[in-house]
Amino acid sequence: MHSFLRLSFLLLEFFVAGISYATDAPQSDPADPGVEGSAIDKAAKEKSDGGGSAFSAWESKYFASDPDNVGPAVKQPIEFPHFRHAGDHDKGGMEINCMYCHTYARRSLVAGIPPVQKCIGCHQSIDSVRDKPRIKKLFAYWDAKKAIPWKKVHDLPDFVRFSHERHIQRFIFQLNRPVQEVCGYCHGDVKTMTVARRQKLLSMGFCVTCHEINHPVTAPGGTPIGNQAYWYGMRKPVIGASGILKAQGPNDCSVCHK
Amino acid sequence: MSISTLFENYSEFRHRHPDGDVPHNPYKWAMAIDLDACSGCNACSVACYAENNLPVVGKEKFAHGQAMHWMRIERYWDQDGREFPDRGARYLPMLCQQCEAAPCETVCPVGATNHTPDGLNSQIYNRCIGSRYCSSNCPYKVRYFNWYDYPTTDNVWPAEMNMQLNPDVTVRSKGVMEKCTFCIQRIRGAEIDAKTQGRLVRDDGELQTACQQACPTSAISFGNLVDPESKVHKQWRAQQVDLDKHEQVKDEEEGGTDLRGYRIYEFLAPYPSIMYLERVRESEI
Repeated sequence: MHSFLRLSFLLLEFFVAGISYATDAPQSDPADPGVEGSAIDKAAKEKSDGGGSAFSAWESKYFASDPDNVGPAVKQPIEFPHFRHAGDHDKGGMEINCMYCHTYARRSLVAGIPPVQKCIGCHQSIDSVRDKPRIKKLFAYWDAKKAIPWKKVHDLPDFVRFSHERHIQRFIFQLNRPVQEVCGYCHGDVKTMTVARRQKLLSMGFCVTCHEINHPVTAPGGTPIGNQAYWYGMRKPVIGASGILKAQGPNDCSVCHK
Repeated sequence: MSISTLFENYSEFRHRHPDGDVPHNPYKWAMAIDLDACSGCNACSVACYAENNLPVVGKEKFAHGQAMHWMRIERYWDQDGREFPDRGARYLPMLCQQCEAAPCETVCPVGATNHTPDGLNSQIYNRCIGSRYCSSNCPYKVRYFNWYDYPTTDNVWPAEMNMQLNPDVTVRSKGVMEKCTFCIQRIRGAEIDAKTQGRLVRDDGELQTACQQACPTSAISFGNLVDPESKVHKQWRAQQVDLDKHEQVKDEEEGGTDLRGYRIYEFLAPYPSIMYLERVRESEI
């Protein structure tokens, strides 16, 4: 009986917390006061703390308000509009290649976030948006010579080493698939988001569903895609019905866990 | 598989890799340690501590047998009656032998330690439940158990020291078994680079283990055993040591035992991947 009561209280608590979270508008206010110097760090810290009870902090970390979002709700120092930069032309986007800013993805384990210099590189010559609050904030960081304290959205556990390089090299450079599609396998439809949110589960099961599929390692006619050595480490290749050599992705634990 | 074919193909059976693997193609990582060159300086051990985020447990825990040195130098005294300063010492760097038919792998209840296609005996920390069967079954006693949550234990990594932790290696938590991985983070890094550039890992020092890199006398060589051009392959061949034999053919030949190469506990048939080169002494021991 006791345990039942406790359970029902817990459920009630969940429910109430859920409502209070849903009514709490999560996005940042546009009229953010100008930040300068050391005030930046302080402001960012206050924002990340969020306030509220420990439970709501926990809840907002592990459950998001939107059913499409499976990851923690992350509040960024600047509400970066991905849809404006990477989105389609007809929806007001610039269709910038993901790897223009996340430049390390093709050559390292991590995709990386660009330095402020990269933002300024373009924005110093875009006068039309110069007086927008977010851009003002960006230039405040630039003038203060401070890095923007971006928060990690797609954060994997510490015992996982995911290699962006291998996936980018294989799917974009060897199979010539579109960049946004390839990135979207794991990151969801970022070009429609403002601040990036986690749309895919990124659990081990999520990774394995793809690694269990036979992927082509040769083009029609049996010619290797890219150079020969690149598919070593895949599992034993099989010749498919269309005469294309296919292999499953690596399932060796120590590829990611080390 | 009948009993007779099992015995006939025993070594092959013991080497079996999981279905779907492409074993030892194109890599089989192996090592050769020249005991004649080893001076017992412990640099390899220190390098291993630095590379693999090993906790320094301190005197007291060390005395309890809780040391975490993945690579240890075993010291043996000559038994020829001479006293200490003149008494000869021999050193043997002991690390995980990355057995091809590893005794530890077969007893793990959760498959946390298993064989990789490139011939490593991998240890998956997040899968390990700490039953310690593997350690009991290891003939070399090279598996180490995390008795404490070392990152939060005093003086293991005092403040700021944790800044030197290798980000490519997991910091293990309490209740997890660990062991030498042949610096798997370096191996995977080199393999990824090679793959991206459409080639195989070169045998020119592109890939070195931490112990090999630190060894002042270059006693340790490490490389791809299936690459006929690699130094390790040449050393194994020169010493006529075969990976898949638990009794080396050369030992039966005339003069074959003059060769220095041997593997430890070979007769137990774990098919270790490390060949030692016996020390050459002036006097008969």
